[in-house]
Amino acid sequence: MAEDSQRQLRGLYRNVKISVKTLDTIIIACILVIVVLLAIDLQNPGFTITFDSKGGTDVAPQNQMYGELLTVPEPPTREGYTFTGWYRDSACYEAWILESDTIQEDMTLYAGWEKNP
Amino acid sequence: MANPVTNLRKTAEEFQRMDAKDKRRSITDSILNNALYILMLIFVIYTAIKRPNFLTLGSLANLITQVAAYLPLALGIAGCIVLTGTDLSAGRAVGLTAAVAGVLLQKSDFANKMFQNLPAVNTGWILVTMLIVIAIGAVIGLVNGFFVAKFSLHPFIVTLSTQLITYGIILWFFSLNGNNGQPISGLSAEYKEFVGGTMFRLGNVAIPWYVLYAVILTALMWFIWNKTTFGKNMFAVGSNAEAARVSGVNVFLTTVLVHTLAGAMYGYAGFIEGVRSGSVAASTGLNAECDAIAACVIGGVSFVGGTGKISGIILGVVVLRLIFVALTMLGVDSSSLFIIKGAIILCACALDMRKYLVRK
Repeated sequence: MAEDSQRQLRGLYRNVKISVKTLDTIIIACILVIVVLLAIDLQNPGFTITFDSKGGTDVAPQNQMYGELLTVPEPPTREGYTFTGWYRDSACYEAWILESDTIQEDMTLYAGWEKNP
Repeated sequence: MANPVTNLRKTAEEFQRMDAKDKRRSITDSILNNALYILMLIFVIYTAIKRPNFLTLGSLANLITQVAAYLPLALGIAGCIVLTGTDLSAGRAVGLTAAVAGVLLQKSDFANKMFQNLPAVNTGWILVTMLIVIAIGAVIGLVNGFFVAKFSLHPFIVTLSTQLITYGIILWFFSLNGNNGQPISGLSAEYKEFVGGTMFRLGNVAIPWYVLYAVILTALMWFIWNKTTFGKNMFAVGSNAEAARVSGVNVFLTTVLVHTLAGAMYGYAGFIEGVRSGSVAASTGLNAECDAIAACVIGGVSFVGGTGKISGIILGVVVLRLIFVALTMLGVDSSSLFIIKGAIILCACALDMRKYLVRK
């Protein structure tokens, strides 16, 4: 494209001096980056679910695909406490229901404990 | 412009008359100009083949609810972009308003209730709370707009500072009354029902009420942008502020109002965000403005200023959400999502400039 047919950019781009050719290169480069990243990531699918037993016995992490249920993990034990279930947040407000909640992302589940009387 | 079929026929005729070299260039142009949409289409087809449950009603319902949640923020920010500005304070404004809405609408018998002497949660109080948080959002927008309009400061600087100030207020708010920064949870059932309750079911997935609110809000914004003097003034100021001033547009008032309207949108987004994520933490809304800005740029709200359509913003939000829903379904690691987002924004900006430069 001839130099004289180029227009001065306005607005937020008003100081940008760039040719259409360079822009094309940037666009193609960006798309390549996206495609390559996707290709790399798709080699390694699946989500990792880790368990924070918060002082109890360790629970092994699991690898599951999107939309699947967790394999019911061995409940951890802890001296002087009763295990109340797995929770999405460390404050133990939102319970993870093993029978119905499906995996949407990488996550950590936290153990809930109740002090024995 | 009115009839797309005639338009298409005209383009086809023009294309017939071109010589071979022009034809090739015209094809390259249209491929490059629509590169993001083409990429998305290929990607969606790939996902649909790999994961058959991507093409189910449930997944459509999921997409609709996500779009409804992200749309208000994009609609607000789009106004600032039309004025060749931007708004970096949007995410934190959502965080603050979500926190205020959450605290005002906690369960009355919740053990960690932050303020004890609040009215009982009923529809009236929920509406009052919504107005309060919309007003808080609008005040943040008003501050942005005032400094941008009065001192011609760059919106990046002004909104960056309000972003930080708002975050400070959020942190301070979370440590009130011995809360010590804990997330705000125990939202009342009435509030959850009002925002996230089931409107109807699509497949097995419930469509919440806030989808309806998003539709109403979009219609309202379309009306403001296309049918009011204020909307026309906004586009005039965006494409050339000096020319607009000369032809009698109140540039100061228009700029302030655009930012205030955007702020009100953030307030509304905050109102639904608490219910959407179940609880409100100090980090709620972090970086939400990035998604909104990206959606606007993808949807053709140009940084050149003075151009943009509501339909474009909806398309932008849908494209962005579709990509993310597909990526999560394919199980792509969330860390590379950020790189992809960045590449999409850079690509969309380059496309935006390219369209402006190549247009005759």
